[in-house]
Amino acid sequence: MKRITLVIAALLFGAVLVFAQGLSAAQQANLKASLALEPTALALKSADNQFLLAPSTDNRKVPARPADPNKLAETDPLHWYDMEWAGWNVTPTNIPKSPADGAIGKKVIMIVHGDHPWTTACILGAKKVADAYKWQFKALSPNWDKNVQDQLIDQAINEKPDMILLIPLDAKAAVQQARKINQAGVPLHMFNTLPDAAALNFSLGWTGPDDFGQFRLLARAWADALRKANPVAKEIGVAYVQHAPGGSPYFARSFGPISELSTYAPEIKTLEKASPTPATFDANTTMQLVSDWLTKYGPKLKGICAADDSAQALGIFQALEKAGRTDVIVVAAGNSKQGMDLVKDGKLFGITYQTAEGDGGLAAKSAVDWFNGKTLPIRQNLAQHIITKADVAGFYPPQW
Amino acid sequence: MRRSKRGNLLALGDKYRIFILFIVVFLFMSLFAPRFFNLFNFTTILNAVALNAVVAVGFTVLMICGHMDLSIGTTITFAGALTMGLQPYLGFAGAIVIALLGGALVGLFNGFLVAKGKINSFIVTLGTMTILQGSIYQFSGGNSISVNTDQVFVISDFLQKNFLPLLTPRTILVAALVIVMEFILRRTRVGRNFYIVGGNRNTAWLAGIATDRYLIAAFMLSGFTAAVGGIITALVSTAATLKLGENSLMYVLTATIIGGTAMSGGKGGVVRSVVAILSLEMLYTGIILFGLGNEVKIFFAGLILAYVVLYESYATYRHEKTLGQRPELMKELESGLVFKAKA
Repeated sequence: MKRITLVIAALLFGAVLVFAQGLSAAQQANLKASLALEPTALALKSADNQFLLAPSTDNRKVPARPADPNKLAETDPLHWYDMEWAGWNVTPTNIPKSPADGAIGKKVIMIVHGDHPWTTACILGAKKVADAYKWQFKALSPNWDKNVQDQLIDQAINEKPDMILLIPLDAKAAVQQARKINQAGVPLHMFNTLPDAAALNFSLGWTGPDDFGQFRLLARAWADALRKANPVAKEIGVAYVQHAPGGSPYFARSFGPISELSTYAPEIKTLEKASPTPATFDANTTMQLVSDWLTKYGPKLKGICAADDSAQALGIFQALEKAGRTDVIVVAAGNSKQGMDLVKDGKLFGITYQTAEGDGGLAAKSAVDWFNGKTLPIRQNLAQHIITKADVAGFYPPQW
Repeated sequence: MRRSKRGNLLALGDKYRIFILFIVVFLFMSLFAPRFFNLFNFTTILNAVALNAVVAVGFTVLMICGHMDLSIGTTITFAGALTMGLQPYLGFAGAIVIALLGGALVGLFNGFLVAKGKINSFIVTLGTMTILQGSIYQFSGGNSISVNTDQVFVISDFLQKNFLPLLTPRTILVAALVIVMEFILRRTRVGRNFYIVGGNRNTAWLAGIATDRYLIAAFMLSGFTAAVGGIITALVSTAATLKLGENSLMYVLTATIIGGTAMSGGKGGVVRSVVAILSLEMLYTGIILFGLGNEVKIFFAGLILAYVVLYESYATYRHEKTLGQRPELMKELESGLVFKAKA
């Protein structure tokens, strides 16, 4: 009897060993196939014929953190240290180890911030990578509601995916969201909007546009144009149409240029800055806001910087046309069809290259790299570029 | 006789329509939606409804009184911002007390203008909403508010921890509030007076009910419960965002109407509103689990609301058309019983 039991136990043990080795072999094969797909992924292109995966080659040195950035003036670039340089100093905790079993066939859930043509393009970019690696891919949208985003996170955890890709709706609330996903044992990668630095403790990494960097670049080009158009002016008045309050673009796209210009072009003075309410991305609301500014400041207002190159930019130009102003130099974020058409027509002076597809694509590719066993950089920016009339033709057809 | 039975069934169906909707949605989603029928998902749904359920308590009582509070969304945000913004100075206990008082004060302001100033509640609460919105932006400097202490994570974890299957402290708190309020409304004179005030204010006054006090109390309750919702949500999120309560007004209003609370007042119940919120949440969760998009969710919410509003309009029309009619008396007259008795 004993002998029979021993034989059965040995057989079972052998079967388990064989099965485990089989799994391991399957994983190895998957990893090999996944790594072989790398050239295919890198060759993917977005709708504007640019390479989908274009990480930044910028290698600026990260400055030392001031003792208390909040004590510095808002015009001081270092006041925004924790937002602009969020992530470089974090100590990741409880980060799951890569299975290193390849990216093919993984189940990935992407939770975005809300419905917008930009978001559609962003999801499309991620889907291009997802399709290349045959993912079970799902994108969920909370329609700009943080409470709904919390619920979607719970739903996503319930589905036990291999990874969650998250665009945090609110920088500060992102800390608890990231913590929750991390505690549930689901690998998390954040992208697009920058969360508070503490949230990155619980994330494999972050990818997205360097909003502050892009807007510092844009601010310099804008300042040069403003100086050229107003060569003898001692003061040049400008205004900022801001993004929805709360998220990182709200600060980066107004305080980024404000703090940059405080040293690069101190003669440029901020007259106004506001987010159109109640609808942030509505041409009519923006038109009313800018019309009020034009009435209040008249010819003193020489430039406008917008957080969005579609609805906001259209609203700005409607207000300028009504006021009969053609001397105001306008710059904006993003490269939507409307924005690029306005640049092409010579109305918008410049826009930042905010590749929507590339944003989603790079987030998905980061997941691929992690599944393939690579260690992700805690933060990876998208390539920076300012589109002007000189090179706008190269970015057609637009992504959204 | 057969018509009468059918009529009774229809009346029963009408009376319990929200519970029927709840059962239908629950059964459908449990049978067909992938990963719907599991404890984790049910806990998620219960946690998700906590904010709107607690807000619906005060909102329903106010609607029973025949009024509406458009400022609940901004009161939620306001209370959340006060909790997080005042924490460094007063600690959590002090900040929460101030936030609760703040919510009640907003209600007092609304109620006073409506009851004493005889101004339409729609106008008053629209004004309060705008004032609060501006105040919140001033207070927060246009940014979300969080606190730099680990204590907030301890509180957040506690509020979300499952002590019993399905139940977390925040859902227990909401359930307790709903049960207490339903008991007050159904079983106490004070509660029933809210219905009388909403049904006919003049009759209520003639019956010796201090109608203004009841109205002000209902507005204060609405502000208070909105504040409770804002505080709990901010604590769970560990941050008060500027759009914390932005979508609650439409959600709670839809659920309260679906639940059977009449916009004209005098009819409804807290439990019904909460069951409506649960039904909507199950529907939305199911839609997500089916892999359908946000647009489908909005479409269904609109469809349900449109159906209920149309049904309510038809019910009101039918009620007004038959007002004062006595079908039984007509039958007796036709049968000649009345005159025979007199003779």
